[in-house]
Amino acid sequence: MGNTKRLKLLVVGLAAVVAMAQAITAQDRKYKADLPPAIPEDVWAMLVPEDNPMTEAKVALGRDLYFDKRLSIDNTVSCATCHDPKAAFAEPKQFAEGVGGKRGARNSPTVFNAMFNVEQFWDGRAATLEEQAKGPIINPLEMAMTSHDLVIERLKKDPAYVKRFQEVFGGPPTIADVAKAIAAFERTLVSADSPFDRLQAGDAGAMSEAAKRGFELFKGKGRCITCHEFNASSPFFTDFKYHNIGVGMKATANFEGLARKVQQMAQEGKLNAESIDTLSLTEGFSELGRFIVTRQPKDLGAFKTPTLRNVELTAPYMHDGSQKTLREVIDFYNKGGEPNPNLDGGMRALELTDQEINDLIEFLNALTGDRARRLSRGEEVIGPSKP
Amino acid sequence: MWPLKWKKREQEYRRERAEFFSAVSLLDRRSFIKVAGMAAGVAAAKTALPPHSFQLVDVVSAAQAQPAFRFAYISDTHLYERQLNERFVKAAMRAVQDVNALNPQPDFVLFGGDLAQLGQVGELDLGKQILSEVKAPIKMMVGEHDWFLDMGDKWKELFGPPNYSFDHKGVHFITLMSVNEKDFWTAKNMTPMQRMLTVAGLDNSAQSRFEVGVEGRNWLKADLAKVPKNRPVVIFSHSPLYKYYEPWNFWTEDADQVQAMLAPFRSVTVIHGHTHQMLTNRIGNIHFHGMLSTAWPWPYAPMGLPKLTVQMDRADPFDEADGTGGGQISVHPGGYVDKHYNLWGRNPVVVSKLYLDSWGKQDAPPAPGFPSY
Amino acid sequence: MNKRYMKVIALMMFAAVSAFALREAFIVEAQQKQEAEAKQEASPLVVQLCDGTSKLEIEGLKEGDVMPPEMARNIAAKMLATVAQEKAKQTSKWTARDRQTWEREQKRLIEEGDKLFHDWKALGGTIGISCDMCHPNASNTHAETYPKFQTQIKKVAALRDMVNWCIENPMKGKPIAADDPRMLALEAYMTAQRKGVPLDPGKH
Repeated sequence: MGNTKRLKLLVVGLAAVVAMAQAITAQDRKYKADLPPAIPEDVWAMLVPEDNPMTEAKVALGRDLYFDKRLSIDNTVSCATCHDPKAAFAEPKQFAEGVGGKRGARNSPTVFNAMFNVEQFWDGRAATLEEQAKGPIINPLEMAMTSHDLVIERLKKDPAYVKRFQEVFGGPPTIADVAKAIAAFERTLVSADSPFDRLQAGDAGAMSEAAKRGFELFKGKGRCITCHEFNASSPFFTDFKYHNIGVGMKATANFEGLARKVQQMAQEGKLNAESIDTLSLTEGFSELGRFIVTRQPKDLGAFKTPTLRNVELTAPYMHDGSQKTLREVIDFYNKGGEPNPNLDGGMRALELTDQEINDLIEFLNALTGDRARRLSRGEEVIGPSKP
Repeated sequence: MWPLKWKKREQEYRRERAEFFSAVSLLDRRSFIKVAGMAAGVAAAKTALPPHSFQLVDVVSAAQAQPAFRFAYISDTHLYERQLNERFVKAAMRAVQDVNALNPQPDFVLFGGDLAQLGQVGELDLGKQILSEVKAPIKMMVGEHDWFLDMGDKWKELFGPPNYSFDHKGVHFITLMSVNEKDFWTAKNMTPMQRMLTVAGLDNSAQSRFEVGVEGRNWLKADLAKVPKNRPVVIFSHSPLYKYYEPWNFWTEDADQVQAMLAPFRSVTVIHGHTHQMLTNRIGNIHFHGMLSTAWPWPYAPMGLPKLTVQMDRADPFDEADGTGGGQISVHPGGYVDKHYNLWGRNPVVVSKLYLDSWGKQDAPPAPGFPSY
Repeated sequence: MNKRYMKVIALMMFAAVSAFALREAFIVEAQQKQEAEAKQEASPLVVQLCDGTSKLEIEGLKEGDVMPPEMARNIAAKMLATVAQEKAKQTSKWTARDRQTWEREQKRLIEEGDKLFHDWKALGGTIGISCDMCHPNASNTHAETYPKFQTQIKKVAALRDMVNWCIENPMKGKPIAADDPRMLALEAYMTAQRKGVPLDPGKH
């Protein structure tokens, strides 16, 4: 080998290294969170897992996957079908509808601020957003893919995806990386840009007098704030805990029988992430709530406190979408919930007057974020990068 | 602002959660849980009770022998009359529903004393009415709140003598009146109600200390004389039968003498009320278990807490039922018991015979995980 | 007669000589003792005056010795005089009587708080639940930890906020004003129960 040849090789090699380095830099460009002032930056950063750092490319890939109907068996359902940006990333239907119009037993919760949840789903059956994302894809009542492998097979048929996975994760698509990308996108969906937040920041005129009275009721007589926690460190209007307030207890007569079946399944070793996921969306079993996950008596009929941000846009309400309006919800609390043996000890009749209920609703409406409202009106669109 | 430690804890927590989820399908046999059925329509007509009740009870630890039998308890209901305080009434009824929902049914239900708040006729009558809904046979014990208005007249009329014993499946049970007090009222010229209110105040130092008393000890001596030393003995006592914290009468003045009378027996268990908290102690051959109240929890005393006690988390008053509840006692064939705490709104806890046998070295129940706030 | 006088004189002389000899003996003994003590560096007798702070070392006496009555009287008189002199130089205008008044008034308020703490009617409760039923001796009120985060209201609160929370919730009454004398009395009682416990905001 002559010297010139060697030199040429060296130059080519160097060029390749430089090009690769440039490519890595582009793909690795860190995602810079654009957080509303009410969300503490350190809290947000703390909840980004070390093994799934946020990059621009990953967020973009996750966004495309989120809107991609190919993740369902008949190419009709995407994440966005039930968690629709136009409905503050929830949906107006009572129950989530999967492929072929199949209905589960739960109302879709909002993805806005979901990254702050201690656990995911109404019953906390997934520990992380990554884990959550994998569930619906293979749940027969939702996207109904027969296996995660099938998802990967499909993605591999799309060279663009293969290339992007290679760029973002350094390998071919895997289900773990699909979940990571979707979770990364979801971590960009934070919401705290409401009139209430502006009031907190010092704009006294941001909220009506009625809404201000409503906030006082929210903290005091209404006993709302204890579970729908709000303070500067945790401005999410939830305590992330599970409470039995009685929703669904009336509808399900055979509560104990169902609990016993779950217990039996556990004894027989039949409870795993997939069967728990299926049970949760099965009528009847669904009402057991957190119990399916922990099998502790105190968790019977208990569901996670949902956030109240953008609540105006996320009707209907409760885990089963059984309450159509905010007035219906407040009436429900006003009578102390639905009596049942496991009713949370904090529930009691509130004796709120009509005027006070109106004020509370005014306050709740002041929790709608500007961006959520723009999305609901079509003034802003969040969609796939290549529609 | 958010210390690094916080983040670490958060990650640790996530890892544990992930492990938990993957372990669900590999359920450990030791965490076998038996599901109890419900009792249909119990007392539903009586008040605004919920339509049905259920209870899931963690009853068997596979590592240990099956218990010979079980009994349940309800304790320290502290009833006022319904017009004044419905909360305590509802809590007592919830406890009744809980024991009625147990499947299999317990052999009997112990009532642990302090049925009434101020020993008044209306309170005791209401208590009797509520307890009459219990399906299993009931064993009554008296507490100081039942006694010091009329020195037990009404209680004895309703429930009989406060000291009695019985044998059940090879175990000798003794219900011992242990809340006598030396006369502090005559010299102060107190009315019966003043006397009652003085005793009812836990931190009221104007009263005397609880004792079984000479008469009670003589009765106990005579009763024990008939019992073979190798027969398991279970004693129901409202006061703890040991010395925990004197200023609050978590205390039995003549405990040493009573314990000495019990020392020759192979297996002695004391089930006591009054302290309204998870409480465990062992003195020589005697295992002590406290009962939960249905009405409210007491804080742990500032000193004197027995070392073996597995503390319950501090109650959150937003949840009126927090820190209260009932429970079951599983009696082992050779004596001694597992104590099941059914804390409403929290996970159940079992303080086992094995835990006490090993002086806390084995089978330790889970602790709250955070310091008590 | 003479003979008689002689006898008396002789006796006196004997007595004097004896006394002298004895004295000599005592002195020697005392000296020896003193030397021995000096070697051991024995702590001198220290007396404290009733003001609780003034102290005086008594030369020549060691700890455990009892002063002869006359000496004790002398020293006491001197010390009192010294204190009176010192007092005249004091810059504080407060007297022991002042202090007594302060303490009595505070005690009165604490006792009033004690009563209220045990009386649901006096605080406007409606269901027979008084403070002491959950907080005997004000336990678990932890006055020294406020202001701190309260999970019931999800914010940092003062002790009086929680007094009112308890009046409104478990006791089912109406909140009382922050400057209501009953509030002050309750605070006095709860704080007094924690005397000596270090301030530690946020704990518990």
